[in-house]
This record gives sequence, structure tokens and C-alpha cells, in this order.
Amino acid sequence: MRGAVAIFKRDFKKFLSNPFMIMMTLFMPIMYLVIFGNAMGGTISHIPVGVVQEVPPYNDTALFTSASYQLNHISQTNAEKLLDVTIYADEAAAKQDLINGKISAVIVIPSSVSNDNAIRLYVDSADSITPPLVEAAAKQDLINGKISAVIVIPSSVSNDNAIRLYVDSADSITPPLVEAAVTRVLLGLGAHNPVLVDKIYGDIKYLQFFGVGVIMMAIFTSTMFGGGIALIKDRENGIHEGYLVTPVKRSSIIFGIISSGTLRAFIAGFAIFWIDLLITGIALQSFQDFFLVVLVILIACVGVTSLVVSFASRFSSQAEYSSVIAFFNLILFMTSGAFYPVIGMPGWLRWITVINPEYYGVHALRSIILKNQGLNVIGIDLIALLIFSTAMIILGIVTYRRTLE
Amino acid sequence: MFFRDKKPAPAEINTGWESVDPDSIPSVPTGVTSETDGTAIIRINHLSKVFKNKTKTVIAVNDVSFEVQHGEIFGLLGSNGAGKSTLIRILTTLLSPTSGQAFVDNYDVAKDPEKIREIIGVCAQNYTSDVELTAYDNLEFYGKLENVPDSILPDRIWELLKMAGLEDRANMPVRTFSGGMKRKLEIVRAFIHRPLILFLDEPTIGLDPEARREVWQQILMLNAEHTTIILTTHYMDEAEKLCGRIAFVERGRLIALDTLENLRKLIPAGDLIEIGVDHMDPVAEEAIRKIDFVNAVSVVEHTVTISATNGSRVIPAILAVFEDYSIPIISISIRSPSLEDIFIYLTGKGLDSGEGHETQGSGRRFP
Repeated sequence: MRGAVAIFKRDFKKFLSNPFMIMMTLFMPIMYLVIFGNAMGGTISHIPVGVVQEVPPYNDTALFTSASYQLNHISQTNAEKLLDVTIYADEAAAKQDLINGKISAVIVIPSSVSNDNAIRLYVDSADSITPPLVEAAAKQDLINGKISAVIVIPSSVSNDNAIRLYVDSADSITPPLVEAAVTRVLLGLGAHNPVLVDKIYGDIKYLQFFGVGVIMMAIFTSTMFGGGIALIKDRENGIHEGYLVTPVKRSSIIFGIISSGTLRAFIAGFAIFWIDLLITGIALQSFQDFFLVVLVILIACVGVTSLVVSFASRFSSQAEYSSVIAFFNLILFMTSGAFYPVIGMPGWLRWITVINPEYYGVHALRSIILKNQGLNVIGIDLIALLIFSTAMIILGIVTYRRTLE
Repeated sequence: MFFRDKKPAPAEINTGWESVDPDSIPSVPTGVTSETDGTAIIRINHLSKVFKNKTKTVIAVNDVSFEVQHGEIFGLLGSNGAGKSTLIRILTTLLSPTSGQAFVDNYDVAKDPEKIREIIGVCAQNYTSDVELTAYDNLEFYGKLENVPDSILPDRIWELLKMAGLEDRANMPVRTFSGGMKRKLEIVRAFIHRPLILFLDEPTIGLDPEARREVWQQILMLNAEHTTIILTTHYMDEAEKLCGRIAFVERGRLIALDTLENLRKLIPAGDLIEIGVDHMDPVAEEAIRKIDFVNAVSVVEHTVTISATNGSRVIPAILAVFEDYSIPIISISIRSPSLEDIFIYLTGKGLDSGEGHETQGSGRRFP
């Protein structure tokens, strides 16, 4: 125990005497949060689309005029207008512009609205996010247009009976999809009831969704500079020969290094947590939430640090170790659900999340910070993190070489 | 009780700490004063260590057997790569033997490494201090690892810093230290816990003469406290000054082990006459060999070394030979053989020459 404390103190003293390392530990996650979060999460607006009147007839119909007008003025909540409509006289020319990338979609409106005359929509599918937006907007607008044109409505459906849709808005990507699906089904059924969307966690922006993941990233980043690297540096410089001949136990060495690494990672994770709240403008609901966040960050730090230390206990060169850790950082962060909901991953990839400590960390933090959930929801995450940490600590101790061989 | 009892049980090592009264430190003894009680504290039986990799196999220690007695200063001598450090690393539990056995204070290195680590102090050949930490922090770190009680640790650290002349540097990072300062810190660190056995692997490498003498004093002082000291070196003067018994190691083998006095008897009695020349004529060499009382003649580059009984008497005859063959003499000296001469006699090469840089083929160069 005394040995573990001595190892811990030595490592932490070195950390404190190196302000550059402290800066770097925090700098990378902040950059991710600010640059990546904003690059990914921005609201897309002013999508250029073309609208064409199907021929015949050769003069604009009332539907075409109102549809193009409304498409040009549709906008998402609290955002710039969604579409920039260009009217094309010729369908071929519009499609050519779509191919050339001048516009993102072409909407071909038939002369009259009926079940026989489909509205054709051509989209530039090279970018996966824009087409659904265009489709949803076009459909919604056209439903309105249709209602104004078609009078026959089944008696049981009425505008007064709104369909209410509750969506889990903690993730900014799924709700629009759900909404679009509901709308589409309604359209298929011929029901014209308005859809009232209730986002139960309020409007969560991508930046806020992603920000929570960055806390986990900060934890991992700090383990790239701290954590196990101290063991490898000792090995590279031959310093370990000095303490291997002392009575210190190998478990003490591993525990000392893990506790120092955990504290370093915790400092980084906790700092990024505050910075995240500041940048994304989220407010925690209660003190209980705060304590849970601290608890989750701490346990996640133990988990991630034990992972890297278990690797460090075997490696003998910093270069090898760094490349392995960078690789793990990429895999674990990408599959943690920090960038994109885990539900969007193919099945084989989702298996990685099962053994990914960052996934549990991100899930728990998101549940607390964005959803105000308690132990009943995050308990399973904490248990998973603790099992993972225990396994890694044991691996680290078992693989640590107490001799020079 | 500054002086430890002759041989405390391992359990006693961690207790009985007291702050040290400087007056109780004995005056530095002159010459070798090791008092051994005749009991073996280290026993090595047919120990071998083989390093293997894909391309080659190196036998670093080859069937070595010897004993080190409690309380002695034991010297391990050999050129670079002779296997001294490997031997030390096996005894200090850093490497496991390939075959054979080694016991340190009756504990088997292969079975009870933890027990051994509690009673040894080690100063490795390379620097093992953490250069990012201060001298004080380094000593504190090791004090804690070696289970020095917290109550006396600060006093002990200052005592050691004083001993190493590093008091004013205590709170500076070791990075800023000179090579000699680092080395002295390493040495005092090795005995922070007053070990039963102290291993010093090339302790004075890279030190200036004055610092070396200081280190020697410290070693003799520790030995006066009945600490058994195992010292590797390739400095002959160091071994002559400190070691009670000396083991010569060459290519992993033990080639001689005895007191300096007995080792001297290994080479033909007499003095060594060294004569500096520009070139040497083989015929003249033969002529010298025929002179009475001359035991051996060898020529290495510009030096002719002649081993002769009662050297001063034969010098005129030798000089006459040089005169006869018109070989100009640049220098001439006469001395009694040193440890290095014994080493050269036994191995056929100098101590400073690394492996593969032998001055002549291995084997005996004298008779």
C-alpha cells in the first residue's frame, strides 16, 4: 500500500511539474468540441432545389405556383429557411443541374393531384443527411397543397383530432426521422391530421448531443499522455531497474500508476464537463445530477485508465504504445455513440460497443446531463464500467513484468 | 545501535531504526579492514545464464560457482561484457538463472525473490534516478519503497544528501545534475534502508578522482557497519583499495577467485620491467629471454614488458642487449605487478578492452 502511494505521488508530481502536459490534455478535447461539434451539428438551411411543372399542360397550374411558393418559404423551427427554390421550365435542364451539383433536388409537380399522378422527387444522394430533409419538407408542403385541392376526406379523420407524437429528443438525429416516418404513414393512409411533436427533453442541438461524448474523449486523451506511459518511460530509460529491486509489489506499482492516471483523467474530464456546459448552454437539473456526473466520470476514468495501463504493463517502447493507444482511441471513441446514435450502427459494429467502456460512459453521462435520469437508468452502465475496470486491473497486474526479462 | 548486529534476521531489518549520531560514524579505515565471520551470505552453484534471440545465443554466465562471506567486500572484475552485470542482476532478482542455483542469505533467487529484495540494496550501472524529480523526492520515493519508517525518513534523507554533498541541491531536479552528482545520489540511495547486502555495479564509473575517493570512503564506512558489499568494477585500483577477495570474470566464466595477495602469487614471482621503444627486433626479444632470471617477455605495440626475478639486478644485462641490437630506448620503468597485470596474465587482454578488441589472441601472453 505504501508502495502504491509512493508510485502515485511520484507520477502525479511529475504531471504537476509539467504544465504543457496539463494544457495538452485539455486542449484536444476542447478543439474537438468546438470545431467538430460545430462542423457536424449545424442546422442545414438554404438547400438549393429545383421545381419543375410536368408537361402537359404548358402553363403553370395553381398547384405548381402554390407549391413552389410554399417550398421556398418553409423553414425548420428557429432556423433559416430550408429551401432555396429555383423554377425550371424544362425537366431535363433541372436534372442536368442536379447532376452538376448546382442544386440538391428536383421536385417534379404533376398537372393535377390525384393518386395516379405521383410527385417525383430526384435527390442528390451523395450526402445522406440532406435528402430526408428535402423529402420531409416537400411532403409536408405538398400535403398542405393537396388538402387545399382535394375535398373528400374520410369522416373519421378530422383536423381537430391531432395526432400527438412524443419523441426522445436527447439525440438530435432520430426525432426528425420518426416524424418523417409518421407523416409518411399518415399520407399513405390518407389521414390529414396535424402532427403535434412533443420533444420531451426540449430541443437538443447536435453540439449538445456531441458535447457529452467529448467528456469521455477528454478522459481517453489524458490517458494517452498519462496513465501507462510512465511505466514505459521508466522502462525506456532503465529507471525501472531501480525500483524492481525494492520490495514493492507489482500490484502496488499497477495500483499506484492507475490511481495517478485516474486522477489526471478525472481532472481533464471534469474540466471538460464544465467547459461543455458553458459552450453548449446546458444546465443541470439538480445537485443529485451533479454528483452522479462526478461519480460516472470517476468510474469511467478508472475503467479507461486501467485499460491503457494493462497495455502499458507489457509494452517497452513509447512509439509502439502510442500507436496502439491512438488506434484504440479511434475505435472506442467512434463506437461510443459520441458522434452518432449507436442505433445507427450495423449489428457487427454494435458488438464492439458492448465491451467499450466509453459507450457506457457516454450513455450514462447523456442520461444524466441531457435527460435528468438517475441511478435506475445508469446503474447498468456503472456496473459494466466496474466489471471492465476490474478485469483490466487484473490483466495489468498479471502481465506486469517484475524482472528485466 | 548504529552498528548492526552481526547478522540480523530479515524481520529485524525494518525495525530498530534510529536517527544517526554523526559522532558514532567511525573514522574511515585505511586499507581493507573487512571482518568476515566465515559464514557464506551468498552461495552460487553452477549458475548459468543464456540469452537467446532469433539470430544468436549468448552465454552471459557460464557455470559459475562461488561464495561471498558475510561482512566482506567482494570484487567482481572483468572487462566490458564479461558477465558481471548479468551475475549481479541474477543475484538482485532482476533476471532468473537459466540453470544452477543462487542463494542470497539462504533465500533461493528463483523461489524467494521477495525475501531477497527486502535485504538488499542495489546501485545499478546505469542511472535509475528519476530526472524529472528532485534529489529529495527521489530519495523519499525509494525510502518509501524500501519501507523506511516515515518517522525517520526525512532525517535519513538529509543525512544521505549530506553524505553525497548534495544538500544545497536537494530541491533541484536531478536533470540539472552533473554525471558525478547523479552517480553519488544513486550510491547513497542504494543504502537508504541500511541493507544487509549492498550491490554496487560499477559505482565509480565516470567520477573524477576526488569523487571516487569519497565513494570509496563511504563503501569502507558501510562495510565497517558489517554490510556485505559486492562490487563490480573494471578499475584495478578500486579493487586493490577496497576488495578483500576478488573474482575475475571473463566471457561468463569465473577464471580466478582469491585475495589480492594470493592472486599475486599466480604470476611468476618478480618485478615487471617496461621498456618503451620505437620498434622491437624479434631476435633481440629472443636474446632477452635467454638472460638469467628473466621469466617472460612480451611486446605490445611500443612497449616491451619483461617479467624478471629481482628486476633491478637484470636491468644492466637487458640494456646491454638493446645496445647490441642498436635499439634506442625511449623509457624504462620497473614495478611490482598490479592486479591488472594479473588479469592480463590470466586472460590475455586488458580490462578496458571490450570483447572483440583483444590486443592479442586470448590465452596467456607471459610464458
